[in-house]
Amino acid sequence: MKRFVVALFAVLIMATPALAEKTKVSFWHAMGGDRITLIKEMCDDFNKAHPDIEVTPEYKGSYRDTLNASILAFKQGKAPNIVHIFEVGSQLAVDAGIFMPFEDTIKPGDDAKLDDFVDGVANYYRIGGKFYSVPFNSSNPVLYYNKTLFKKAGLDPENPPKTFNEVIAASEKLKASGAAPYGITWPLHCWFVEQWMGNQGALLANNENGRAARATDILLDSEPMLKIMTWWKKMYDDKLFVYSGKVEDWDGANNLFISGQAAMLITSTSDITFMQKAAEENHFELGTGFLPVADGSENFGTIVGGASLWMTKGHSDKANDATKDFLLWFTNTANEVRWHKGTGYFPVRKSAVTELEKENWFEKNPAYAAAFKQLMATKPVRSTQGAMLGMFPELRNIVTDAVQSILNGADIKATMKDADARADKALERYNRSVK
Amino acid sequence: MQPVFKRHGTAFLLLLPTLVILIFFLYLPTIQTFIMSLYQVGFLGLSKMFVGVENYQIIFTEPEYRDIMVNTLVFVLGSVSLSMALGLAFAVLANEKVTGARYYRLLLIWPYALPPAVAGVIFLFLFSAQVGIINYFLGLIFGITPDWLADPELAMTVVILSTVWKNVGYNVVFYLAALQNLPGDVLEAATIDGATGWQRFWRITFPLLSPMTFFLLIMNTIAAFFDVFAFIDLITKGGPSNGTTVFIYAIYRDGFEYFKSGLAAAQSVFLFLLVVVLTVLKFRLQKKVHYAN
Repeated sequence: MKRFVVALFAVLIMATPALAEKTKVSFWHAMGGDRITLIKEMCDDFNKAHPDIEVTPEYKGSYRDTLNASILAFKQGKAPNIVHIFEVGSQLAVDAGIFMPFEDTIKPGDDAKLDDFVDGVANYYRIGGKFYSVPFNSSNPVLYYNKTLFKKAGLDPENPPKTFNEVIAASEKLKASGAAPYGITWPLHCWFVEQWMGNQGALLANNENGRAARATDILLDSEPMLKIMTWWKKMYDDKLFVYSGKVEDWDGANNLFISGQAAMLITSTSDITFMQKAAEENHFELGTGFLPVADGSENFGTIVGGASLWMTKGHSDKANDATKDFLLWFTNTANEVRWHKGTGYFPVRKSAVTELEKENWFEKNPAYAAAFKQLMATKPVRSTQGAMLGMFPELRNIVTDAVQSILNGADIKATMKDADARADKALERYNRSVK
Repeated sequence: MQPVFKRHGTAFLLLLPTLVILIFFLYLPTIQTFIMSLYQVGFLGLSKMFVGVENYQIIFTEPEYRDIMVNTLVFVLGSVSLSMALGLAFAVLANEKVTGARYYRLLLIWPYALPPAVAGVIFLFLFSAQVGIINYFLGLIFGITPDWLADPELAMTVVILSTVWKNVGYNVVFYLAALQNLPGDVLEAATIDGATGWQRFWRITFPLLSPMTFFLLIMNTIAAFFDVFAFIDLITKGGPSNGTTVFIYAIYRDGFEYFKSGLAAAQSVFLFLLVVVLTVLKFRLQKKVHYAN
């Protein structure tokens, strides 16, 4: 027995150098469900092609949990090499100081093709002109509509509403004809408010949305904001808009749409694959259109949502090189196409879009077309670049609080003014801590 | 009384594991929380700035936190009184000698065995404004379909009902045990003297149950302060407009969603002191509670 143990140790010791040669790259992400498997498969393929590198992906729960876990791991000196962070966490990630700008790791010989990223996406993740992280899963909000119910109500099924007033008109018709009990639904989430500010060309924060310099003032009581709230409240009062009553209830909104309670739904493009399946199962025809814009405003397009991949500080050059190689491979054209088909998140590289066009993918899957057209039509202005705010999660709650107060009958102007003051105070406190 | 261990060393050695656990998992974190509450902490501790009592100032002066205090009070009073009253009523009924009493008892205790997450989802579905069964029947019978979760008062009602439903079993178990240990001769004597059932309950049973009531009051109150996270998070997420945000939820949100660990620590300290006061109060009042022998 003793001899056996000694032999075992000997084997282990001999085997160690062989194992140690592999550069280990840990990758913490926040994609649940089927996406865990997809990411695992992609990483396995990379590992097979790169015998000297071993990437281990790990699902860490929500975006917030992933970020929290990473910060805590960093404090203990065990930070993962790659962390998946949601778009509104970008400023927070910069301020935390535990990540390094991705673009700095690129060397002249690398096949990085940073110009290949879709403009709207590059616009968001370039901070001060530099990619701090690699864009990965991107989405924006689109209008989904039930063509079958549209026909029933005598609406043109090929022509979804494009403006706030058109949404009201269509909803009234849907309701009056008895086609659906409600016109439209979307999750009560600040994200949509941000989008409706963006497509009106309005800023959410000063200093050009916090992009020219750190934002010091949040703009919640501006004219475009009041337009959004007035429209929303009218729709709620007239029982044209419906929601589950809970904030940020994505599933609740999806269910209202799928069950035919509401004939239109505004939600993320990342649900397109899911919605197509649901429409088939529930026997209705699905249509998609652009996110409606306030009347009288030019449509500047949407702000890119989703998340990007960040590299943490404190690893060896060798590990950083391996990490960079993996990230470039993970987001190359072929993998972007694969990721898009597997999830519905749109590919973030122009070459991947061209690839999909060559395959006639959009003709075969028309529901995706609106999402792409909308992304491509987005104008690269500050409003669609999205605001950079370190306390974004808190801002989102301040806005949803205000929206619910307004829907429950509070004065729009006064409520937004209060919310604005609350947000400014929170921002001031946050900024104080990072100066 | 003779000491069990002659040497203090042996006793200390046996206590050591417990002490180690207490120090590392209870005392040290508590002290750290006190210290942290005086700082503005960023990114879960990556940055730190001394701010004195500012965090406490925020809690006691800002309208948002005043609402949270009121919500906590409403929630604790509502859920504790309701679940204890119902628990007692059910226990008295389940204590009756009827056929199948054992099954009734089992069924009453059942909800307590459910994980809070499951109970939360059940109530979320029940009270869904558009597709919930409650509104389906309300619509059928009365023609009304209230927006349960969109209205702050109704949302609070739903959260209270769900915790009561979940916790009532706990109270039933303890009350049942207490009822079965009541001295039968006293009740018998009262019956012979011509006391009605109602009189017997309020004059004899209820006072005799007071030690149990007292114990349950403390347990329920502490549970109401600390164990509601899952219900709030699943059913309302603290909404609408913070209408169901109670302290424990605000602590989580400030600490882990908004990266305001200092503020969260200050709230923890406040909650801690509140529970200390309650416990002291318990020991003071306990002297007035009637214990048999």
